[in-house]
Amino acid sequence: MSVRFCAMRASASGAEWEDADVIYLDNAATSFPKPPRVQEEQNRCMRLYCGNPGRGSHRLAMQAAEKIFECRGELASLFGSRHPENVVFTMNATMALNTAIKGLLQQGDHVLISDLEHNAVWRPVCRLAREGRITYDVFPSYALFPDRTPEQICRGIEARVRPNTRMLVCTHASNICPVTMPLREIGELCRRLGLLFVVDASQSAGHIPVDMEEMRIDALCAPGHKGLFGVQGSGFVLLGEDLYADTLLEGGSGVNSLDEAMPDEAPERYEAGTLPTPAIAGLCEGVRAIKEIGLDAIAEREHMLCGQLLERLSSLRGIQISVPHARGPVVLFHSPRLPADRIGAELDRRGICVRTGFHCAALAHRTLRSPADGAVRVSPGYYNTKADIDALWRALREILE
Amino acid sequence: MGNEPERKSCMAVVGSLTQAMKAQSALTAAAIFSRVEKAESSATRRGCAYGVSFPCAQEANVREVLRNAGIRIRGGMGGR
Repeated sequence: MSVRFCAMRASASGAEWEDADVIYLDNAATSFPKPPRVQEEQNRCMRLYCGNPGRGSHRLAMQAAEKIFECRGELASLFGSRHPENVVFTMNATMALNTAIKGLLQQGDHVLISDLEHNAVWRPVCRLAREGRITYDVFPSYALFPDRTPEQICRGIEARVRPNTRMLVCTHASNICPVTMPLREIGELCRRLGLLFVVDASQSAGHIPVDMEEMRIDALCAPGHKGLFGVQGSGFVLLGEDLYADTLLEGGSGVNSLDEAMPDEAPERYEAGTLPTPAIAGLCEGVRAIKEIGLDAIAEREHMLCGQLLERLSSLRGIQISVPHARGPVVLFHSPRLPADRIGAELDRRGICVRTGFHCAALAHRTLRSPADGAVRVSPGYYNTKADIDALWRALREILE
Repeated sequence: MGNEPERKSCMAVVGSLTQAMKAQSALTAAAIFSRVEKAESSATRRGCAYGVSFPCAQEANVREVLRNAGIRIRGGMGGR
């Protein structure tokens, strides 16, 4: 679906507004557009009940708190948790991952991360290692191998486990290619080895079923603004039972105000400061929209679009698709004829939004052996159409040929 | 109306506002009416706190429901 919108454009005579038709194919960065009910609930929140949740007991503060609790419940049930109080809201997935990684690791621990991790995992782990607090190893995803198996990946993990290994952090779905990790098998292995299992579900939440209990996940981290149809500023970490982490931030929590320490219990322990109630109200509706549409229907549509995209791209000369054997809502390619950023700029000139470069995923691009100038990522979403893919194909043909 | 006996309400103070809301959900599921409230400052020496108020006659049931839901009662319960 192309989206008609009003954009501010710089021109020789200064900034001016113009109407434009845009085809948005960057849903791995943030989903767009959002379902109307998300916008409506945010608007309703700001008009009618946007008190400060958990700060005071007047009706608007309580109404805001009720909406936030509703959202905790929707998220917990979507991800197979019986504990809405274990949904800890954060600004985004990066903050969620930092909360889990820094809060759960202790001096001297060893950590395993996959070779597909986003910088939101790689950088906090590298920092802790640089400071001498932990050590880490990277295990292979075998993303480039069409016949990769969960057993092969688990063997790679076991070979790297040390006596002091305490945690394994793994993305569920890569943010740069259509490769997923076998969470069920990895979770089983982590449980057997006594490792904490932290999952980055940034690209899978709202696309692929995730079940905390079945997959034996200890901490599930995700943004609200991608597959869950919420807005930017809403993310969360869903903690497993009986998990007690150190806090990333300290400050107002609305309870035990006379204590110098944060409260003991989740989620307030980990949620210092005022929560973004309008964003969480919108997220609540986003999750409900997903439940109504159904994850299967979303995945089916995205896979259909990506199948069409791969077919179209393979007909173009001068395009090399990374991981062509895998299917998922992210397609990565590059061209020896034009740098990735140039392709992105040319597409933007034609009203098509994709993301180019390294996508905050140095480790993953290294794994996929991307060229020095990075690559072009196309990520269709539920609201895209076959016509959008055809328009992209025509534009690329024009740019490259 | 004037002859109706006074129905005392009790309050279970829990660890946080979220715990209070979880408690209310559990009590509603058990057909026990409750209300989420901010506890009076005298109920805790640690500052702001929240809990659920309910008819005192239900105290034993409330204790059981909250225990089964894994919610720790941190204070309160007195009639008022």
